[in-house]
Amino acid sequence: MTAAQAALAQLESGHHPLAWPRARLWLVVATIVVFYAVSWKLAGIDLGRLVTGLPKLAHWIATAWPPKTDELPLFLLRTAETVAMAAIGTTLAVLLAIPMAILASRNITPFPRLYYPVRWFLNALRGIDSFVFALLFVASVGLGPFAGVLGIALHTWGSAAKFFADHIENANLGPFEAVRTTGASRLVAIGYALVPDVLPVFASTSLFWWEFNVRASTVLGVVGAGGIGQELKNSMDLLDFARLFTIIAIVLVVVTVLDQFSGWLRRKLV
Amino acid sequence: MAAQPAPGVPRLEVVGVTKTLGGHLALQDVSFAAHEREFVAVLGPSGAGKTTLFRCMTGLLAPDRGEVRVSGERIDEWHLHARRHIAVVFQQYNLVDRLSALDNVLAGRLGYVPAWRGLARRFERSDRLLALECLDRVGLLQRALQRADTLSGGQQQRVAIARALAQRPDVIVADEPVASLDPTIGAGILELLRAIRNEGVSVVCSLHQVHFARQFADRIVGLSHGRVVGDAPAAAFDGAAERELYGSASPM
Repeated sequence: MTAAQAALAQLESGHHPLAWPRARLWLVVATIVVFYAVSWKLAGIDLGRLVTGLPKLAHWIATAWPPKTDELPLFLLRTAETVAMAAIGTTLAVLLAIPMAILASRNITPFPRLYYPVRWFLNALRGIDSFVFALLFVASVGLGPFAGVLGIALHTWGSAAKFFADHIENANLGPFEAVRTTGASRLVAIGYALVPDVLPVFASTSLFWWEFNVRASTVLGVVGAGGIGQELKNSMDLLDFARLFTIIAIVLVVVTVLDQFSGWLRRKLV
Repeated sequence: MAAQPAPGVPRLEVVGVTKTLGGHLALQDVSFAAHEREFVAVLGPSGAGKTTLFRCMTGLLAPDRGEVRVSGERIDEWHLHARRHIAVVFQQYNLVDRLSALDNVLAGRLGYVPAWRGLARRFERSDRLLALECLDRVGLLQRALQRADTLSGGQQQRVAIARALAQRPDVIVADEPVASLDPTIGAGILELLRAIRNEGVSVVCSLHQVHFARQFADRIVGLSHGRVVGDAPAAAFDGAAERELYGSASPM
């Protein structure tokens, strides 16, 4: 027997159907089943209610025609407000994210001691949804789109900085080191060697967040933080389904157009 | 080409450099010097400490003991201005892919200009002229506005040499500059470095190929197990010296 044959025989001898791996398999299956059973219970799944509820929904949709166009200027203004909130909030977030991303990148941070604190801070921002931030800001700065902008900015700040930092940590640092050796300071080397490398990706993801935040911020109006969500909630409260579906249609059109536009712009960037 | 340092002072001096990396003694009391108009090749088997030595020479790593001097001035993290007198050429070229060849060469001026000029990439006319002259020197003036990542490997290394020249350095340190290139193109790069050292810039270059070292270098420094084991004129580096240097490496 050659050495290779012996090695193969040894590998094959390890494949006997042993009792332990099989038991482990069943344990995993059982765990998954229990997990879904508990989740089903906790989520309050009740198919009966869906069966009785669906006709109600169908009836609403039936009463939604024809759409209400008399309030169209107001809806468009509110939608523009939503898009603007998302734009300002996202821009603010990206600007704040860049210095944080440098501090949160192990490979280029000038203050390695701050690495973990900054990462924790960013994770906290990311962990709290813009909706929750908006709730807090409506209470502190009052009703209106400004509270929504702050909510979007804080949440996106965390997400953007973390994404930027992860991207920087994976970037090729060769050019950065090369520029450092010319006698440039760390800041100049970052600006000269790293920024051109990462900028297209940063710009493209920023556009994506803007687009994402437009979708996300339609609900911010529900807590009084401005935008089209406010009208959405009013219609629901009044059970005015024609109005409700008109608004949903407008949101769909705007989101789709923005999707296409930002997709086109992002393809040009990368 | 560079400001003339006092005569007799070596362009590059490595004095008793010792460096431990991850508990392993990578460099042990390494000393050698490169004088004006000298092309010094550093040879040694893989793992001899060449890369660590080059990172110490360029200030990317701080030695535990000893120091590196360029025209008598000490190089370290805190003396950025001393760093501009030592220019580095890397194995992987390390150009900024998305910038033009010209912008990459202009990076060589960053040690001389105010930070805002570097960040805005707005250089004075004299710097732009110098950068174009450096590109011309390496034969790539026609490619000045081409993006770096559209150039071939040999062309990218030439741009990297132009960037080094734009620093108006006393010494160019090249870490395996031809290891990623085919032999003909590699020989062209070494030819260029040899011509540059005739213009008054010393060259210290680590190499894998002994015949390249014999062909282009004035002096050969042998490095093995983190120690200098030979320092002699290239003409004196014969087959016996080669066997001794590479034979002294631990068996793989």
